Amino acid sequence: MNAKQQAVADKIADYLSENLRLPRENITYDIPLFGDGIGLDSVDSLEIIAGMDLLFGVSLIGAHDAVFKDIRTLSEYIVNNPDFRENKI
Amino acid sequence: MNDRVVITGLGLVCAIGNNADECFDNALEGKVGIKEVKSVEHSACYAHIGGENNAFVTPEGEDRASALCIKAAEEAVSDSGLNVSADPDRVSVVVGSCVGGAVSIEKFYRDYVADPAKAKGEDVLKMPISAIANNVALKFGAQGAVDNVANACAAGTMSISIAADLIRSGKADAVIAGGSDPMSSLAFSGFHALHALDSEPCRPFNKSKGIALGEGAGILIVESYEHAKARGAKIYCEVLGSGVSSDAHHITAPAPDGEGMQAAMERSIANSGIKASDVDYINAHGTGTPLNDSSELGAMLRVFGDEGKVSCSTTKSMIGHCLGAAGSVEAVMCVKAIERGIVPPTAGYTDEDIAAMREKAGNFDFVPNKGKSRKVEYVQSNNYAFGGNNASIIYAKEDAPRALSEPNGERVFVTGFGIVSPLGGTAEQYAANVNAGSEANRCENCGDYVATVGKEDFDSVGIKLNFYRKLDKLSQMTCVSGKRALVNAGIEVSDDNSRVIGIVAGTSDGPQTDIANFQKGIIAAGTQAGSAFLFPNTVYNAAPGYLSIAAGVKGYNVTLSNGAASGNAAVAFAARVLRTTQNDVMLAIGADEDSETVHMLYEKTGALGAGLRLGDGAVTVVLERGSSADKRGAKKYAEVLGSGFAHCPVPFGKYGCADKLKEAIDLALKEAGVKAEDIGIVMSCENGISELSEAVKSALAPFGGAVVANVRDNCGECRAAATALSVAHAAMMLDGEIKGGKGDYALVLGASVGGSYNAVVLGKV
Repeated sequence: MNAKQQAVADKIADYLSENLRLPRENITYDIPLFGDGIGLDSVDSLEIIAGMDLLFGVSLIGAHDAVFKDIRTLSEYIVNNPDFRENKI
Repeated sequence: MNDRVVITGLGLVCAIGNNADECFDNALEGKVGIKEVKSVEHSACYAHIGGENNAFVTPEGEDRASALCIKAAEEAVSDSGLNVSADPDRVSVVVGSCVGGAVSIEKFYRDYVADPAKAKGEDVLKMPISAIANNVALKFGAQGAVDNVANACAAGTMSISIAADLIRSGKADAVIAGGSDPMSSLAFSGFHALHALDSEPCRPFNKSKGIALGEGAGILIVESYEHAKARGAKIYCEVLGSGVSSDAHHITAPAPDGEGMQAAMERSIANSGIKASDVDYINAHGTGTPLNDSSELGAMLRVFGDEGKVSCSTTKSMIGHCLGAAGSVEAVMCVKAIERGIVPPTAGYTDEDIAAMREKAGNFDFVPNKGKSRKVEYVQSNNYAFGGNNASIIYAKEDAPRALSEPNGERVFVTGFGIVSPLGGTAEQYAANVNAGSEANRCENCGDYVATVGKEDFDSVGIKLNFYRKLDKLSQMTCVSGKRALVNAGIEVSDDNSRVIGIVAGTSDGPQTDIANFQKGIIAAGTQAGSAFLFPNTVYNAAPGYLSIAAGVKGYNVTLSNGAASGNAAVAFAARVLRTTQNDVMLAIGADEDSETVHMLYEKTGALGAGLRLGDGAVTVVLERGSSADKRGAKKYAEVLGSGFAHCPVPFGKYGCADKLKEAIDLALKEAGVKAEDIGIVMSCENGISELSEAVKSALAPFGGAVVANVRDNCGECRAAATALSVAHAAMMLDGEIKGGKGDYALVLGASVGGSYNAVVLGKV
């Protein structure tokens, strides 16, 4: 990950910790977000979609499941999206 | 048995009218009241429509939920000709609601965010669901049992079922029953966040992608047949049996197999002593969300078949989803259908839709677009809610054949406890700390008495991080206390017993902390930015809903909310459920949380300044039928012998009428067959407020020989948790786990702001 993507990844991890009430130390770049990893569900994914739009201006509606695999894939998709704004808020 | 319960009055206000007849006539024509929403800012949302009643303006100084409810109740009381003041002690009020004072909640937090000093205590008293039934009781002078049912979208149906139960158990002659919910930013934003709103008027069971929210209130006068006959009242129809179940699947989504829905439908039919083939009309829940509609349709096809003998419609297609009022609004539709012999339609079907529906449901009759005249002798009304709660009820033409299930005549015992309190996180710790005179856990800054729940508690009851991270403190405490109670009682939940283990939860204030978090979030970022994560936690039945999932219990599930006495009410009501339904075991829970938010709200009302010391906790009392306890050789701590309820019509926030506490005590003693002088233990409900202390002092005069204990001395006013804890404490004193007990009988008192008092009598085993 380059510095830009890493900054986004860290922001995502902070967001998940705060908004999905996950212990920050449990959230690594590569832990699977759904299934056996930290076990997010469909309601959590709605919160992630809303959060990424709010934080970075990127819409994840219609994005492929693989994007949501972990924070690494999510941050990669976001920094490469034409709508990406680093400091939307 | 006085089992005949009838409907003698109707009142309705919703998107398609201002009274029951106008609404029903419009429904028969398929008139859709779903339009652009005016009362909620939704410009940045993907959906903009809902079913409001813009003609009804909330009177200055009132909350919209209570005002809508009072409007419908005025119509119903007048329609029934019931003279409440003739015998006010025998008239009850039971109101269902989901979001309660959500309009006042928004106002309060808008003021608070602008300037904390500006937010008013008088608005705090309009926020909780607790306030609604009290406001109705005050308006009409009702002085019997008063309660609110807070099971989100199933609350309206449950309230009528509970009203019928109050009459059948001899506790009331007439009940002003129903539900009320306003259009609110809280609900609009929440369902929007869950992507559960449809951008077009919903067409349930058809092409709908979600719900259209509605608002309104439906009130029915539910009355004993004898009482109605004696006063020459017009009888619309009879209320037969009901069925309540839990999915134990997901906090917002129904179980895809629809098994819980099916169980509720089958129980209402069985408890009425009729057959599925007797049912002429079903008013379906039919919200329009693909998940609800496919689960529900599957369940209905399994119960009723696809031959088209029964007609089924969902009036939400015209009215919108009125949440906690839905079941009562739909009840009025059902009663009118029986009265007139014509059933309302489902709106919004094209010929193409009808052909497509035939593909998936055969000849099943959805009554497309226009009302249909037909035989309407038996009607089933169904509602399902967040938390996986399912409710079903049967209405029938007067004198229609039926064979209601009789009370089973069983004794009810306390067979276990789960205590999460400021004085210990398990029943054993609590008892040991009481016996040792230990100090309770206090909040350092504020002095409140607080229970703590952490990772080690969840680990000890087998609840994993991906589940407990979702919980607010109310749900955390409830889940840990409920799971510990099952272990304490020696009950293992399995496929064999999961449908006969149920929950009655009581809470005074519900999840006020996450309600505040959610509301403040949308005030800051807009209706379109509501948190999908937080919204499920804003319903009062979320905590017992989470517990049903964590513990896998699929029986009865009702949440009562009427102030601090709610824990006592939960115990009394759960005992009745055991005597009248299929359930063997009930988890009777009292739970209320403290937080900076809750502390601030109580400061605003002036209660803290007046001497109340807040606490929190969750206490589960396991109640069990004698036959079930005997069969598994369970330890019995005490027997539940009787309960009594009385109400003083005072403005919400006050106690009032010292004599009403005495009246509740006398009713409980009478039902228990116990004399005042035989009571050895009294659990007081004093909480530092002088008005209540005076009432307790005068009510306790005949109990001079008893030991008087008060859990609030150690745990603060933990509200519903305090009354449930008082029951547990008394049972442990009778059995000897807690020292200092005396005699064979204990009396547990409860009091709520708004004027509701109750009492429960326990006996030594």
